[in-house]
Amino acid sequence: MAKLILKFEDRVLKEIPVGAGMVKIGRVPDNTVMIDNPAVSSHHARVFRDGDAFVLEDLQSTNGTFVNDNRVTRHNLSNGDVIAVGKHRLVFERGAQEEAVAEAAPSEEAPVLPELGGTVFLDTKAQRELMAKIQAQAAAQGGQPAAPTAKTAVPGAPPPAPARVGVLTVLSGKADQAEYRLETATSVIGKSDTALVRLKGWFKPKLAAAIARKGETYTVTPLGGKTLVNKQPLTGRYELKDGDVLEVSGLTLQFNLQ
Amino acid sequence: MRLRVGAATDVGQVRKLNEDAYTVIPRQGVFVVCDGMGGAAAGEVASQMTIETIQKVLTSNDNNIPAPAANPSGYLARTERLAEAVRESNRAIYELAQEDRKKAGMGTTFVGVWVEDNIASVAHVGDSRAYLWHGDLMEALTEDHSLVEAQVKAGVIRRDQVEESKVRSVLLRALGQEPQVQVDVSEVPLRPGDYLLLCSDGLTRVVPDSGLARAIAILREPQRICNYLIDTANSRGGPDNITVVVVQVLDSFWQRLWDRLRG
Repeated sequence: MAKLILKFEDRVLKEIPVGAGMVKIGRVPDNTVMIDNPAVSSHHARVFRDGDAFVLEDLQSTNGTFVNDNRVTRHNLSNGDVIAVGKHRLVFERGAQEEAVAEAAPSEEAPVLPELGGTVFLDTKAQRELMAKIQAQAAAQGGQPAAPTAKTAVPGAPPPAPARVGVLTVLSGKADQAEYRLETATSVIGKSDTALVRLKGWFKPKLAAAIARKGETYTVTPLGGKTLVNKQPLTGRYELKDGDVLEVSGLTLQFNLQ
Repeated sequence: MRLRVGAATDVGQVRKLNEDAYTVIPRQGVFVVCDGMGGAAAGEVASQMTIETIQKVLTSNDNNIPAPAANPSGYLARTERLAEAVRESNRAIYELAQEDRKKAGMGTTFVGVWVEDNIASVAHVGDSRAYLWHGDLMEALTEDHSLVEAQVKAGVIRRDQVEESKVRSVLLRALGQEPQVQVDVSEVPLRPGDYLLLCSDGLTRVVPDSGLARAIAILREPQRICNYLIDTANSRGGPDNITVVVVQVLDSFWQRLWDRLRG
């Protein structure tokens, strides 16, 4: 959606969306954008949508409204136009969405999509074509794809083979292995027979802690008994860092990414 | 670990039919929400079929599903079984849609969790969502399989533009549309005090994540949370069917006693 970015000396003060309504710019509070500066008239200018165009109109202000350093009374805004009101600047951004949507799903293509009570499903072929278009658009706009987090990378697909795997090395205490590789999505420490790190003894908790893996991110969740990380009691979820020392029910383990 | 569960569904203010469906099987820790699509009541069939398939597959005692010995995927056997049940539902809907022309094109979203031993297995397809609320933090456990989500990820639109998008209702994945479907799965450990929330997009379209979090933080009781959220969605226009399931994770009685005895 289109918007105006209000700036003062290169500082962004705020962003104002420009939708169907009128955006009024001026010195007094009944304006959408209030600029409290003597150089600005009480009702200085306005921006509104006219069909496909966004129009800037000067409201016979004392000091004038400027677009890209030219004084204007009425002007059809283009993407990137800089509006000067007093010493403040308003940058107009047309927004990618309108064009994006128009290109992604042109109206003549729309009827081809099956109409399913409001919700529409794209089959794999249509999807591939559309995704290719979106990628092309993103590239054309120089848009940085949102950095995929570990979670977005491959939800559902079998976990990828990331470069490193978390390993718990036993520093002290009784355990059935010298080290445990955290290869699965969830690894449990406890007396339970599903546990990776098996605790033995009457008073050990069935489930002491669970370590969840998302790529190279490992989060430990304390579930029962007492768990310490680097000597601090763990009261909630905690993202493990290389070298952290875990103490779980008498067992001391060091976490490393290998 | 004990679970306290609330669930509610409503047709909303605009639609004539409720094509959403849900099931809660607290004893087994299974909770599912489906949002059906396809005209002439076919969406209702698809979501209901999925619920029935899930109930049948997950409550059957014959562990026919081979326990993966090597566990190549890295997920719990339970998680695999849940995903397989979803794929089974997909096949069932797809086949029926092929046979019956009136039902052609019907489909449904799926979001489901299976909670056992403090670990929730999560599976989803489409734009119904699962959230985990813990310590006042609302965490999304699923990512919509929708065109707008793909556009956001590609950087073509911003997240705050999703609401106005004309292609908001376009799904990239749903059950019953193709012979095979890719099911997203994940696992999340649960602590006493945590809440899981499953819902159809009729809720999330009109109530932001922060509103969901606030409802949990203030109301606390699962059924009250569900009722309140349905009312809120309806008061904001109720543009679509609304379904919400809330699961509260509690200490078991013995666990609390044990903890108290051990100081």
